[in-house]
Amino acid sequence: MNLLKVENVSMIFGGLTAVKEFNLDLNQGEIVALIGPNGAGKTTAFNMITGVYRPTIGRISYKGNDITGQRPDQITKQGIARTFQNIRLFKDLTVLDNVLIANHLHLKSNFLEATFKLPRYRREEKRILEKSLSLLEKVGLVDAQNEKSSSLPYGKQRRLEIARALATNPEILLLDEPAAGMNPKETDDLTEFIRQIRDEFHLSIFMIEHHMQVVMGISDRICVFDHGVTIAEGNPYEIQNNQKVIEAYLGVAEDYA
Amino acid sequence: MKQKKTLLTVISIVVLFLGVYLADQNLDSYKMRILNLCAIYVVLGLSMNLINGFTGLFSLGHAGFMAVGAYTTAILTMPDVVKGQNFFMVPMMKPLDTMHVPFFLALLIGGIFAGIVGYLIGAPALRLRGDYLAIATLGFAEIIRVVFTNIQSVTNGALGLKGIPESSNIWWTVGVATVTVLFIGSLINSSYGRAFKAIREDEIAAESMGISLFKHKVLAFTIGAFFAGVGGGLLGSLMGTIDPLMFRFFLTFNILLIIILGGMGSITGTIISAFIITIGGEALRFLDESMTIGNLVIPGISGLRMVVFSALLMIVVLFFNRGIMGTNEFTWDRLFAKFGKKPLAKGGSKQ
Ligand SMILES: Nc1ncnc2c1ncn2[C@@H]1O[C@H](COP(=O)(O)OP(=O)(O)OP(=O)(O)O)[C@@H](O)[C@H]1O
Ligand SMILES: [Mg+2]
Repeated sequence: MNLLKVENVSMIFGGLTAVKEFNLDLNQGEIVALIGPNGAGKTTAFNMITGVYRPTIGRISYKGNDITGQRPDQITKQGIARTFQNIRLFKDLTVLDNVLIANHLHLKSNFLEATFKLPRYRREEKRILEKSLSLLEKVGLVDAQNEKSSSLPYGKQRRLEIARALATNPEILLLDEPAAGMNPKETDDLTEFIRQIRDEFHLSIFMIEHHMQVVMGISDRICVFDHGVTIAEGNPYEIQNNQKVIEAYLGVAEDYA
Repeated sequence: MKQKKTLLTVISIVVLFLGVYLADQNLDSYKMRILNLCAIYVVLGLSMNLINGFTGLFSLGHAGFMAVGAYTTAILTMPDVVKGQNFFMVPMMKPLDTMHVPFFLALLIGGIFAGIVGYLIGAPALRLRGDYLAIATLGFAEIIRVVFTNIQSVTNGALGLKGIPESSNIWWTVGVATVTVLFIGSLINSSYGRAFKAIREDEIAAESMGISLFKHKVLAFTIGAFFAGVGGGLLGSLMGTIDPLMFRFFLTFNILLIIILGGMGSITGTIISAFIITIGGEALRFLDESMTIGNLVIPGISGLRMVVFSALLMIVVLFFNRGIMGTNEFTWDRLFAKFGKKPLAKGGSKQ
């Protein structure tokens, strides 16, 4: 079943076309990866889907509803959650608070019920706490629940960000470079972890990742961006043998050399 | 565990009011007046901290909300005769000239009006960010003051209102301060409070977690304005007179000083600092008066006290920019932890 449909979406910043005529169909249960050299427009594509930017041209629909140009909070409420490339945790708050906050969007009680701790609010708060603790349990952070989130090591911060996104009850999870800054062991675990949450939370996953081992290991399909243009799309095998992709990446490899 | 903490909180409130009783019996009226001011500044500081400290909005509109609360409370409590004496230039508008309600209700209505004004100002202004919000709210507060100077048949204009019934006493001020501490403390400890803090920490992340920035900013702003209005009402009835000049930026600055010194995002800090600033301000009053050192008479430099205050603010901002408490709070858990007792269940209770 098709969940997310991106049709001919472009993002133009002044004279720069960051993303050009991007198309995507994300189906229930799929893991699709978006790869490409630095500055290719990958994060910009995420920002359009999640409502941070309004696409200059094109249409994005979720479960058949047009969500183009809606606000990020409206889009998250409908079931699309994300993480950020340069981790955006609520730094001064505890690990537990970070996850609790992501439950607020579904809270039914108003602020007076919450302030006076009326029964409905107390029930909701109890449920939120249980759910958050169980999420922390799953990402292995339950022991760190009272620590400041910024005090966690990098790999754990990434996991916390995923747990926080999961707390919004998403159907689609967008991960922006989840393996960035992780050590090889953590990277290995991550692949397994992503699969596991996909199955347990019935997610569809769209992720940006540079780490080829991760990408090739778990993606059903891969999109390749170069200078905002989709230069290839296909399964891992097709992408690995695509001439254009190899060129784009060799070009980048030279830049690094 | 939880009940034990609630009990402790109740006991401390009882002790607090016992203290108030003793103070009321033993202290002279000057000292009582300062205590009253301290309690009012607790209300004002908390209301501003909700907006600026907890939600991270740089708002400078507090004096405006206070003016709305102070005038509403004053108009609704002044006896007809006094109104007649006040409005000798332009008669007071009907039916305000014969309208009065009990003090408590007047305070509440003052708060509600301030809240409404806060909402009306917040709805457009809160779309602005950072410095722009500060400038806009500062402008709005000034507009309120100018309007109050000009609607003579309601506010008596620049002449101000004199003879406001001094219904405010230590029971009222400490009572309202206690309610404010409990209310804002409980709000901050709820899911809404967490949403406010999330906005303060990172707007983009908060919005991506499904928190409507606009709705929550307006909510914090409106609640803050409500308590500012109540604080303004208390202040007016403590002073007995109000006029538009009272509600200049200076007043907002004073409250800003309290929350910065106490810690942006700390209720405990605001309470401590409200006392320090209010008592300190009184203690420094001599700076504005003429001094005699030996044979030398130094004429009073009015405003010198303000210079000291401003310097203090600069020192705090430059060297202790997290204030006395940072974002920390006093909780029973912390207290027990300090005295080496086994901490109670997690999640401390406020007060
Ligand atoms: N708000 C913006 N205004 C102007 N230009 C922008 C904006 N956001 C992104 N860009 C530009 O768009 C291009 C694509 O950026 P983007 O962050 O999407 O790349 P990316 O593929 O995610 O790269 P990386 O691998 O480094 O994360 C870059 O040239 C960037 O400078
Ligand atoms: Mg990127």
